Amino acid sequence: MWWKSLSVVLILYVLIAGLLVPLKSGIERVSPDALRCGDTVALRLYGYNTFFAKNGDEALRVWLTFDDRHAIQAESAQAINDTILEARFRLPDYLPKGKTSAYLNVIADHPEAGASILPAGVEIRRNEAGSENGRADSLWRLHPVENLHVQTGFSYPYQNVIYETIRNTYFHVPMWFALMFLFTSSAWFSLKYLRDARQEYDRKAAAYAESGLLFGLLGLVTGMIWANYTWGQPWSNDIKQLMTAVALLIYLAYFILRRSFDDPQKGARLAAAYNIFAFASLIPLLYIVPRMFASLHPGATGNPAFGSQDLDNTMRAVFYPAIIGWTLLGYWVAELRFRIQRLEDKKMGLD
Amino acid sequence: MNWKILPILLRKEFLLEFRQRYAISGIILYVCSMVFVVYIAALRATPPVWNVLFWLIVLFASINGVVKSFVQESGNRQLYYYQIAEPVALLVAKIIYNTVLLLVLSALAFVLYGLVAGNPVKDLPLFLLILVLGSSGFSIAFTFIASIAAKANNSATLMAILSFPVILPMLLTLIRLSSIALRLMQDTAYMRDILNLLAIDIILVTLTVVLFPYIWKD
Repeated sequence: MWWKSLSVVLILYVLIAGLLVPLKSGIERVSPDALRCGDTVALRLYGYNTFFAKNGDEALRVWLTFDDRHAIQAESAQAINDTILEARFRLPDYLPKGKTSAYLNVIADHPEAGASILPAGVEIRRNEAGSENGRADSLWRLHPVENLHVQTGFSYPYQNVIYETIRNTYFHVPMWFALMFLFTSSAWFSLKYLRDARQEYDRKAAAYAESGLLFGLLGLVTGMIWANYTWGQPWSNDIKQLMTAVALLIYLAYFILRRSFDDPQKGARLAAAYNIFAFASLIPLLYIVPRMFASLHPGATGNPAFGSQDLDNTMRAVFYPAIIGWTLLGYWVAELRFRIQRLEDKKMGLD
Repeated sequence: MNWKILPILLRKEFLLEFRQRYAISGIILYVCSMVFVVYIAALRATPPVWNVLFWLIVLFASINGVVKSFVQESGNRQLYYYQIAEPVALLVAKIIYNTVLLLVLSALAFVLYGLVAGNPVKDLPLFLLILVLGSSGFSIAFTFIASIAAKANNSATLMAILSFPVILPMLLTLIRLSSIALRLMQDTAYMRDILNLLAIDIILVTLTVVLFPYIWKD
């Protein structure tokens, strides 16, 4: 069957591209991370996947930015090696808008590696109180952040906290897509069974639910691996984790219900009705309730899980094939389960 | 659909309950003993704990109150109902009857638990509204699940494992709303939660009405 081969090809592509393509350059941390207004400092930037020493003719540029319009540029930037960059700043005496302290973003621009940003990388404080807002603000506007370079080539975005785990996007997220497709198919065949009581439909509904349950478990496990790196621990009783566990319990209950009748037809009919009911209650569990509570999960407090800044074109080139590949694999597993079940039923003389 | 049979079926439900008083007495006694057990197990319950324990009492009372609605009638009698009434009318009658039953049970639980463990409710009208919403929601979901579970031999276990995960979104919303009524939480936009509850209720009613005929025919 062509779609089985397609799923194998796509998953191989996702495994190879997902694990081998490098991350873009980024700034991991800076030192010192606390500054004082009026000082002259040598700020060291520690890069990840950077090649600072290989900068060709154009100079490296470094900024500390207060907001979109207020920034100061380093007077000089010297690469110590490929991953350490030293930038010398003469900090103004005052902060913009009369602030006494602020967190500044660090932006470094490399002709080839492109611009990288460390959000809220350094804290800056003012020595004494004063309110020369106008003059201070103009100092911060002398060197705006402009003419930034963009890194070309096939690479994934660098994001602080997430780092290399961004690759889990191709494994964790497609599990939920596959789960939704599989559970939808399961509910669809349950519906068909209620309209036309053929044992075939009941077996299909159960097989899709089993495969969906498997993908739910895989999604939970990949999520826990991800959470271990980004949230600090695999299980933090996050509402999204809890609701997912409950959603999987519903389907376990479905399997128990299906097998708890002496008359298989009766069990199949009641299980089909419950399956449709369960599918309808899956929506509030996975998509409505998590939004009512605080959650660490992206997308839980109302924003979509993936914004345009999270998923660039390179990632899309792997992410969409990953969704298709894993979903097809799910259907393949379901089909195998369905055929095994049919053979077993034949052997028992039930068919 | 013939709605004329609905009042007759409803009357039947109440009459049946009145004739078999041991069943309703049993469930009332269940609520009373549960209130005392819960109170003794958590003697000095702070308002947040009170809130959760109260809803757990209501949850268990509801499950046990509803599960008997299909179990207590014999197979022959169910066959008779099947011949004279449409399944949807029968279901609606059961849901209305169970809503009334659960309202009585949760009001009883509130009065009793408030009596022994103190009453931390600050916004009584809101709390009563939540009780009504909760009773009707529980009644819809549990009536449907009870109709499935009653067909099996291990109906008590099935009732619990089938209904707990399904009822959870509703229970969480109810606890959240009632913590607003207890002034444990400041949220002026609780109308949204009430609408959420109503939306869940409407989805459940639609589903049960569509699916019940398939469960009912045997």
